[in-house]
Amino acid sequence: MRTAAALTVLTAGLLASVPPPTADTPAAAPSILPPLPEAGGRPEVPAQSPRNASYTMKARLDPGAHTIEGTLVLEWRNVADVPLQTFPFHLYWNAFRNNLSTSARGEGRRAARARAGERGFGYVQVRSVRLARGEGAETDLTTTMRYVSPDDGNPDDRTVMEVTAPAPVPSGGTARFAIDWSARIPYGDVGRAGWVHDYHFIAQWFPKIGVYGKGGWNAHQFHPWTEFFADYGVYDVSLTLPRGFVVGATGTLRSRSENPDGSETLRFVEEDVHDFAWTASRRFREMTARFAEPGYPPVDIRLLVQPEREHLSERYLEATKIALRSYGTWSVPYPYGHVTVVDPAWSSASGGMEYPTLFTGGASVWAPPALQSPESVTIHEAGHQFWYGLVATNEFEEAWLDEGLNSYHEEKAAQLALGPVGWAKRYFGLTTPTRGRRGGWPVVAPGVWIGRGENDLSALREQGQTDVMARPAWHYLNPTSYTLNSYGKPALSFQTLEGLLGEEIMTRVLRTYARRHLYGHPTTADFIAVVNEVTGSDYGWFFDQTWFSSDLCDYAVSASNEPQRRPEGFVEAADGRLLLAERPREEETDPGRAVDGEVVVRRLGGVRLPVEVLVEFADGRTATASWDGKDRWTRLRYPGSRVTRALVDPAGKIALDVNPSNNSWVDEQGVARRAARKWTLRYLLWLQHLLELHTVAM
Amino acid sequence: MIALRALADGFRAVGRSWGLPVLLLVVNLLTAAVLAVPLAGEMERSLAKSRSAHGMLYGFDFPWWSHWHDTRSGHSAAFGPDLFGVGFAFKNAELLLQGYLPLGLFADPPADGDDPPIDPLTLGLGGAYLLVQVFLAGGVLSALRGTQGAWTTRGLWHGSGFYFGRFFRITLVTLALVALVFLVNAPLARWVEHRAREAVSERTAMAWLLGRHALLLFALLGVHLVASYARVVTVLEERSSALLAVVSSLTFCLRHPLRTAGQLALVGLAALALLAVWHGLDTAWGTTGYKTQIVTLLLAQGLMFGRIALRVGLAAGQLALYRRLSAS
Repeated sequence: MRTAAALTVLTAGLLASVPPPTADTPAAAPSILPPLPEAGGRPEVPAQSPRNASYTMKARLDPGAHTIEGTLVLEWRNVADVPLQTFPFHLYWNAFRNNLSTSARGEGRRAARARAGERGFGYVQVRSVRLARGEGAETDLTTTMRYVSPDDGNPDDRTVMEVTAPAPVPSGGTARFAIDWSARIPYGDVGRAGWVHDYHFIAQWFPKIGVYGKGGWNAHQFHPWTEFFADYGVYDVSLTLPRGFVVGATGTLRSRSENPDGSETLRFVEEDVHDFAWTASRRFREMTARFAEPGYPPVDIRLLVQPEREHLSERYLEATKIALRSYGTWSVPYPYGHVTVVDPAWSSASGGMEYPTLFTGGASVWAPPALQSPESVTIHEAGHQFWYGLVATNEFEEAWLDEGLNSYHEEKAAQLALGPVGWAKRYFGLTTPTRGRRGGWPVVAPGVWIGRGENDLSALREQGQTDVMARPAWHYLNPTSYTLNSYGKPALSFQTLEGLLGEEIMTRVLRTYARRHLYGHPTTADFIAVVNEVTGSDYGWFFDQTWFSSDLCDYAVSASNEPQRRPEGFVEAADGRLLLAERPREEETDPGRAVDGEVVVRRLGGVRLPVEVLVEFADGRTATASWDGKDRWTRLRYPGSRVTRALVDPAGKIALDVNPSNNSWVDEQGVARRAARKWTLRYLLWLQHLLELHTVAM
Repeated sequence: MIALRALADGFRAVGRSWGLPVLLLVVNLLTAAVLAVPLAGEMERSLAKSRSAHGMLYGFDFPWWSHWHDTRSGHSAAFGPDLFGVGFAFKNAELLLQGYLPLGLFADPPADGDDPPIDPLTLGLGGAYLLVQVFLAGGVLSALRGTQGAWTTRGLWHGSGFYFGRFFRITLVTLALVALVFLVNAPLARWVEHRAREAVSERTAMAWLLGRHALLLFALLGVHLVASYARVVTVLEERSSALLAVVSSLTFCLRHPLRTAGQLALVGLAALALLAVWHGLDTAWGTTGYKTQIVTLLLAQGLMFGRIALRVGLAAGQLALYRRLSAS
């Protein structure tokens, strides 16, 4: 408790030290965040993961043919409380096998596309599956292989394979699967994995067993926009490829040996991770840095950057340190001791993705600092080392738990360390049908700064009512809804929860959640249980209004000041007789006449959250009120007081409010007119210039 | 040197006839005000009684703008941060190179679900402005044709009316040439974009893309140059055939490419310098109260005056150059 309080004071101090942005400069940013003191009151951190799915793999890359030949041995332990006889394996690259896969039938920038041409196709073809149990002989399961489509029944989808053992593996028992496979790597302009030129980014590339939980196997097909889910284990991977490539991979390089055929073999090992990804390119420039700060375990950072973006190296490395520092404070310290940052090749779609101890960033060669690129994506993907890497939630079914929590922390960390982000538009870049505009000359708008969470509100207004947030990722109506409900809305929900709970309690919630479920697969229910436990209250109502609802949150306030009424008509005299009182004419224009103030707070959206109301009066007094937001409106009366300002949610706690500009009422004349004229001048100049440009066509 | 001297003569003529660019500036300002004045009213109503008014007066209230932008359609939706600083020049250049000027004649239809980058009302206003400029161009050129440089309103109206038909036909021929440029540009753009997509390095890709846009800009400026001299030829030689005037102009430009293009390049550089001056002033100057707003308005009009004066000066310089080279 003391530690948390100290942390809060420190963080509040840092926040307080950040001056508000002015028109031309963003808020100055503190360079460090407070370290995480280890003290009591929080769950113990487990020494290691369950390690129930460990892989030993050997793979050979042919970069000319873009193929991989692989073998793997999977040591799998049944952690379920029932015996299991059938075993599903993900074969993700089969999403790119043809135009009939579930991914190819979908939409969005990640959907496999047949129109990419022959090079766009890729596959994983399992040649054999053998099972060994105990000391007995191997059983060939190849003939039991069949493809299943648990999500949509698509008979043409080949992204999940199932094998059946001759006998069940009992609870607590182990099994060893030996799998041989061949893979063709798809061209990398669509999927997270793939090749462009000599850049190979190899992810989701081997047959990977599903996760057993909640009474069944969790092995979903590969949908156009869903991500991944796997069990923890030890990965021991030997990669063979021609000499001359710079290779980055999950884990640490344990050995490197040259082969007589001109190739070399690199062996990477990592413990307590749930996936393995790697990359190889001759063009990579390698940079290193070390994160070593008091209170945190040291981390060696390795950056593999494209030559044309070498000038962004320091920014990549610093952003990674910001993430290690801030996420380490807000969840658990990063335990692996190393992380690899990959700057993807131009035209590769592998950017902005997370894998254990390795992640991809993304930036343009023209990267004005105000835009915080590559910083924001680096902080985000490095942040996934915590929310995904260390706390492995189900990205298929509950994408908001890692993406949402990560987006919330990313925006918070970036705001603290870098200040608000600028706004820019890029011109003359590459227009792509699925990935928007890429590259181009950035023109930064002077004086425009975007605060934490503010950039998510537009999508929430536009798409917020499309889907209930808490639903499986592939069940969202479209990619836009997925993006909103996995990133923006949950991030704003966490920010709102922080506003309601206060930063100290929120930090305790997240630390408790991270420590309790380190190396685990927590669910939404687990998170809510931690919130309830730490706060000592049932916060189910909050999640009902936000995560389990598609309603919007919008509060508005208005106020009025009416002259106090003087008796007019028949009134009782002192002796009880009725007298006719007439209003003197001059009273109508009496400037000193007392007024009655009235404030009306309205709930325009469906979401009901408690809000505070701050009212300021002409004589300098202020009044505060709380409203539970359950009705559609509430009226606050202030007899004899002139209201000059009324604010609903004055501290800006309700980040989910889709229209913050109607949260205030100010009794002022002229300011709006001056502001409108100020900005209309910009519009006028643009229009004059545009009109004049027409003369080029004369 | 002939081109430079001719250009200097042209700007001296504009100096003597400074009322012409002022008049053109007034036309430009009044046309733009047709959309800007309603926008100011709309914005004021949206900001009234809100704390966002303070935010917008002393900075930029992003949440307010974001909501405003999401709830607007038509011309007012164009107000956004992309207009600030020198962003407006980039936005307009992109609109030009995408074929939206004038009237969206040469633009590809937007992809499904995408809004066009400029609304029809603004395009319509631009079309009307173009027509007015075609009309006034005759008066301006006939006024600048005189060696004394004195001009009268009556003379301007007379020249405008006298040459309007011919200049209108020249504009139609010009638009046909612009259409041809965009027609040729379409497959070239696809090829360049393919090369950019396939490039190994982002720098290479950007070189391809910027190169393609630069090429298109040069082609459009080339058409503009030919059209400008077609008007000069028409005024100086009293040609009645627009087509023949364009052919004569093309011949003249091809015969004197460095001189004709050099003049245009110099004026273009001067326009860029003006923009740079504006950028410097704009970033150093905060606009809040009415006084600062008036100063900003005057500075902006100064920029526009400079730009229009450059256009008129170029036309006068072209008149002088054509005279000198035809006489020699």
